[in-house]
Amino acid sequence: MADEHPAILLKKKRKRLITEGLKTNCAELIRLLSDMLDAYFCEVYEKSIVGPTMRIERNPYAVLALGGYGRREECVQSDVDLLFLFDRKVPENGEALIREIIYPLWDIGVTVGHATRSIDESLELASTDLDTFTAMLDSRLICGMSPLFSTFMERFRREIILPNQDRWIETIIQSCRERRARFGDSAYLLEPNIKEGVGSLRDYHTIRWMAMILSEVRDIRDLEYYGYVSSREYGRLMDALSWLWVVRNHLHDIAGRKCDRLYFEYQPRVARRLGFIEGKNGQPVEQMLGKIHSAMEWLNQLVQIGIREIHANRAAARSSRSVTKSTSSDIYADRGTLHFSSSEAIVRHPVLLIRIFEESARQGLPLCIDARRLVQEFLYLANEAFLRMPGALKAFESILMASRTDVNVLEEMASSGMLERLIPEFASIRDRIQYDRYHLFSVDAHSLKTVQAIKSFGAEQTMEWCSLCAELYRDISPHRKWLLWAALLHDIGKGLQSDNHSIKGAEIARNILNRLGYRKRDIDTVAFLIEHHLLLIKTATRRDINDEEVAVTCARIVNNTERLKMLYLLTVADSMSTGPKAWNEWTAALLRDLFFKVLNIVERKELAGYQVVRDMARKKAQLFDAATERIERDELERIYGWMSPRYLLYADIPQILEHIDLYRSLASRPFIWRIQTDEDTSTRTVTICARDRPGLFSKIAGVLTLNGMNILNAQVFTWRNNTALDIFHVSPPVDAYFEEERWMRAERDLNAALQEQLDLPAAITEKMISYPSLPIPGDRRPPRVQVDNTESSFFTIIEVFSDDFPGLLFWVTDAIFRLRLDIWLAKISTKVDQILDVFYVRDFDGQKVDAPEQVEEIQKTILDTLDRIMKKGGKP
Amino acid sequence: MKKIEAIIKPFKLDDVKEALNELGIQGMTVSEVKGYGRQKGHKEIYRGAEYIVDFIPKIKIEVVVEDGMVEQTIDRICTAAKTGKLGDGKIFVVPIEQVIRVRTGERGKDAI
Repeated sequence: MADEHPAILLKKKRKRLITEGLKTNCAELIRLLSDMLDAYFCEVYEKSIVGPTMRIERNPYAVLALGGYGRREECVQSDVDLLFLFDRKVPENGEALIREIIYPLWDIGVTVGHATRSIDESLELASTDLDTFTAMLDSRLICGMSPLFSTFMERFRREIILPNQDRWIETIIQSCRERRARFGDSAYLLEPNIKEGVGSLRDYHTIRWMAMILSEVRDIRDLEYYGYVSSREYGRLMDALSWLWVVRNHLHDIAGRKCDRLYFEYQPRVARRLGFIEGKNGQPVEQMLGKIHSAMEWLNQLVQIGIREIHANRAAARSSRSVTKSTSSDIYADRGTLHFSSSEAIVRHPVLLIRIFEESARQGLPLCIDARRLVQEFLYLANEAFLRMPGALKAFESILMASRTDVNVLEEMASSGMLERLIPEFASIRDRIQYDRYHLFSVDAHSLKTVQAIKSFGAEQTMEWCSLCAELYRDISPHRKWLLWAALLHDIGKGLQSDNHSIKGAEIARNILNRLGYRKRDIDTVAFLIEHHLLLIKTATRRDINDEEVAVTCARIVNNTERLKMLYLLTVADSMSTGPKAWNEWTAALLRDLFFKVLNIVERKELAGYQVVRDMARKKAQLFDAATERIERDELERIYGWMSPRYLLYADIPQILEHIDLYRSLASRPFIWRIQTDEDTSTRTVTICARDRPGLFSKIAGVLTLNGMNILNAQVFTWRNNTALDIFHVSPPVDAYFEEERWMRAERDLNAALQEQLDLPAAITEKMISYPSLPIPGDRRPPRVQVDNTESSFFTIIEVFSDDFPGLLFWVTDAIFRLRLDIWLAKISTKVDQILDVFYVRDFDGQKVDAPEQVEEIQKTILDTLDRIMKKGGKP
Repeated sequence: MKKIEAIIKPFKLDDVKEALNELGIQGMTVSEVKGYGRQKGHKEIYRGAEYIVDFIPKIKIEVVVEDGMVEQTIDRICTAAKTGKLGDGKIFVVPIEQVIRVRTGERGKDAI
């Protein structure tokens, strides 16, 4: 209909444009939307009823587009910012004009921000308010008196910009910093803000504004003309911006409002619309975020370098003398940045491409923008063979190992593309996003952060917040290089689809390091660290770290103190660089606890170590072989699972088989034993299987003593299902004829004792009366009791040295029982008349007893008991 | 309605969560907490520096259930969280006066 209001027409056309544009030519949409609005304003300007009454010849006016609309970058739900600019004072019927032109837009749902100002007022406001100032920088004439616009722009430049260039630059940089600090929070990495975040469109605006202040830049193309970006960079800039605009337009359309943050809820729909499908590069959302991340990271670099460069140039222009320090004839430092003396030098000596980064790491100076561009231009010189050129690998190593963390040279190398040329495998993890709330950074960024975190352990301040890391970092200093290589490559396996990125990564790392000509031993170290970089954190958070076996399993995998320390540092650095969900004081406490336990085991070499691991594997195989005839494999596996590392270490195979047999016939009885006559017939072996309970050991010892059996040595073990397995070697009762009856009586006694129907101490005291007295105390060495809490993280170890006498073991173990301690493992040995008893104990709650007063009490109680009995000649 | 607050060992979280899901419990709050009870902390010495673990890392789970569900819920948590060793944790049952779902304003058991 011809007489439809232009706004209604606009609404229809706009809707069609958006629907079509989003499907087909999304990158052009922002310009088409701007043009459509322009057309509307021109039309209503022409047809205006109020306009002519303002006597344009006396007080002419012009309609200006500001901000994004001024840049012709109008997104689907962007605000439309307008300025009605008047030559002189704003006339009284200005309001009527607004009503006529703008209200219809509100009615069709376009958000319009507008101002009516005279030239003087506009200049006044722009000189004090940054937002107005930048909006004016982007202003563009839509319709009205064009000479007015020219006058305004000319005065804006002459009166507002030029006299205060430095101040404006400073203000813009400052506001950029504040914004980036506000939106640089890690949460924005997962839900990026396309407009305000780090590397967002606003960063591009920042560069553009600075260029406009310093040069006659009017359009994005002028950035290249005036040398703010190279032609290659211009192409990349346009690609990055187009992509962000596309994403933003879809986001606006889906959200139905001006929403610039890509919230989780919108991500799947946006990704689907952008045509990402699940494939070998991961989930659609991961692929989309990867691409967004890549664009934003590039813009981030651009703005940072841009700011640095503009800053440096302004500063240099102000100060008359600029310091030039030559570091080599081909690379020199000037005004705080590094430069190549000439591009021919690079062609002659391609190794300069890495030497300049080495200098950067050494001096803490960044590359100047031209040097960066030269590096990118000549990247083709750096191929796979590059690192084998003389000096190149050494230069890379010194970059990797440089202790300063103020400049992140690896990151510079990554963003300039250099890192990927040197280690092509790195390309596979570039911008790879993992779609969860746990991983905040893309894999490549995370890897570089991990390297930085490890270096930070060497910093002075680390002593305060993590003195353990600082200590360990010092301890492993001869191996730092390998730890840093492992940190750089630890997630390299994430570039491939695989179930286990650690194993895959170790494989890839081996290839890389082999290619670089490192020694096998060192490659093994790096590959080991990568393969097991999740071992400690997974164990600490998903296993019971108070279970000795868990620590032993870890210890056996690591097997080596230096490697364990490196693995711990890598774990801490890796977790710190993943995000706040992965690293906090809570997780740190678990990890540290596990580390100490594993360290203890690795250092003692009793339960772990290459030899032990080999022996244990052999033992397991032998056991399974030997047991095949007696027991189903499944059942054996189940029982094997209950056997503690120490049990498997110290019990020999016939004993274990015996225990398995006994256990299977234990059923519901409290205990079962088997008595065998040893080969030389002078001793007996008593093998016992019982449900473990505090005091069991002392009761058995007591019953044997009571029945005239002298205990020569004994071993006590506990399976994890709370079954006690004991082996006693005893001399048989004196009266050999009635031995069988004796054993049966002993069995009855033990049953009675376990049911608390037999008072063992009283019975033994009585029994001892019939024994000959011990020699007088003067002839004997006093007993000694040592309590050790350092040897094991899980047990307190009590060692008792004493002259032997009948009943000794009962009195010692009874004392331990009265101390409310549980014996988990014991080794009793007699040498002639001296005994050495070793007990691994815990309190009834299962904890070590390490308080000094408890340790003292243990010693005192046992010694007092022994003293008392010995003083009485062995008759308590 | 009761709130059931369980302090458990960190590595038991998945087991407990699964057990409660099986029971049809839809929501829970989980926090990483530290504390001690009978399981006391300990210290490690490395190169002369003491590293004290005085508060032991634990997981706290909070669920609100109808009165009729309390016993079952406790049972499930106990079974799932138990290792039989010290430090298996504790369960607290607290009466709840009111529950309100913010979005809809529903109250009482509908809001659980």
